[in-house]
Amino acid sequence: MIRIILIVLFLTICSVPARAQSFGEYLGDESVLYAQTKQVNQFFRRFNGEESVSGIRYYERDSLYRNPNFRHRYLNVLFDLENHSVGEKMRKDFVEQVTKRNRPNFLNFHAPGWFAEVSTKFIHHGSEVKVILFLKLEQENLGYKWVITDVFYKPFNDLLASEDDGNMLFLHPMSHELDFMNLIKVFQDKDKIAKYASKGFKPNYLTLLLYEIKRGNMKFQTVENVKFHFFQVPGWYFELSDLRRTGYNAGWLITGLIPISETEKELLLKYIYHD
Amino acid sequence: MKATILITLCFLAAAPVVLHAQNDLSPARKQAIDSLALEKVRDLSKYISIVGSKNTPWAEANRVIERTLELFSEGSQMGVSSLARPQIAYYSIRQYMERLMALNYDKVKIDWYDIHYISDLERQPDGRYVGVITIYQRFEGSVGDKMVYRDTTRKDITVYVERKQTQIGGRLIDFWDVLLGDIRVTETRL
Repeated sequence: MIRIILIVLFLTICSVPARAQSFGEYLGDESVLYAQTKQVNQFFRRFNGEESVSGIRYYERDSLYRNPNFRHRYLNVLFDLENHSVGEKMRKDFVEQVTKRNRPNFLNFHAPGWFAEVSTKFIHHGSEVKVILFLKLEQENLGYKWVITDVFYKPFNDLLASEDDGNMLFLHPMSHELDFMNLIKVFQDKDKIAKYASKGFKPNYLTLLLYEIKRGNMKFQTVENVKFHFFQVPGWYFELSDLRRTGYNAGWLITGLIPISETEKELLLKYIYHD
Repeated sequence: MKATILITLCFLAAAPVVLHAQNDLSPARKQAIDSLALEKVRDLSKYISIVGSKNTPWAEANRVIERTLELFSEGSQMGVSSLARPQIAYYSIRQYMERLMALNYDKVKIDWYDIHYISDLERQPDGRYVGVITIYQRFEGSVGDKMVYRDTTRKDITVYVERKQTQIGGRLIDFWDVLLGDIRVTETRL
């Protein structure tokens, strides 16, 4: 009976967020916990309409499994409603698209198109520094694991940033005839060395991080923050963050949403990775 | 340990050994595993209460710490943060329990909120399955009649599930073993 009351109240909360606060009076603390999206796993299930309001898993045999109307209600509570950069119209357009009856969009935990951004602290040469790690899920054997794909650590980037200062520096095309004796000039100015690399050269900051750790110059301290970037819904990008605050609109929520073309996607990825 | 295996067998041997897909256990098996995992989480909570209480003799508290460690896979850690200190501080399970023992409350009371959340079980490259159970608890430590410390924490508890075999009466029987792993503890405001 209590479960039914909770379900009815939760559905009402979903459809009338502005009045949600008052339900706590009747349900006590627990209603808040039911409403919050407690795990990323729950975000996936709620997004796809694969669990009941009380968190019971729906399977394909269940009538409400991925039900469009049910999803419609769930999806509206998966946004950070205090974030006004995601307008109501944009939110509505997104929800309409993913719940379209003839061609709905679902999130797939194992598919590409989403990754984690983890802010961490390391000690580097005795000082505490901030390092951002990017991770994605990768299949191995019949299972999956998170793997580090990239790193952003400002001193690494600053060290290897390619500056176009207008000076053309190169090894001339007949250098081979001189046994490349002119290499001495390449390595004289350490700030300009990268100009002698091929045009496709891109520093691998993960290699640098591993090198520094293996040399004993860097040591992991702690995790500060985690968020996820999703490109799984065609034409859209969204950011997922854990908002640990009081109230119903908390937990893992969409904190950024942008309609995006393929070209814009490449630019956004560069921005996220600090390329 | 034997008792744990027997309980596991009772819970799980009856469910058909069918893997739905590469990643999915059958819903019936998943439900049985969830119950068993929650049972282990409750055991952990009970052990924390015993170890945290000053009324528990030193030798008994140490025995309970050993029992606690049996619930966990090797190398498991507690990652603790508070509202004032959001960075994760890491403790081994033994360190965590020994710190609790040193706090010396006369009484430790742990209240569970009815809500818990159990994730799907995902298969790892080594063939084991892994999931996370989220629970909410209110911890109260008292000295005499006076409550001296109280917090509400959310615990995200890793659960490892592994298919094993044991020999009973000359027959090889499959069973699913459940062990706890790393626990993320965050102080929370409701």
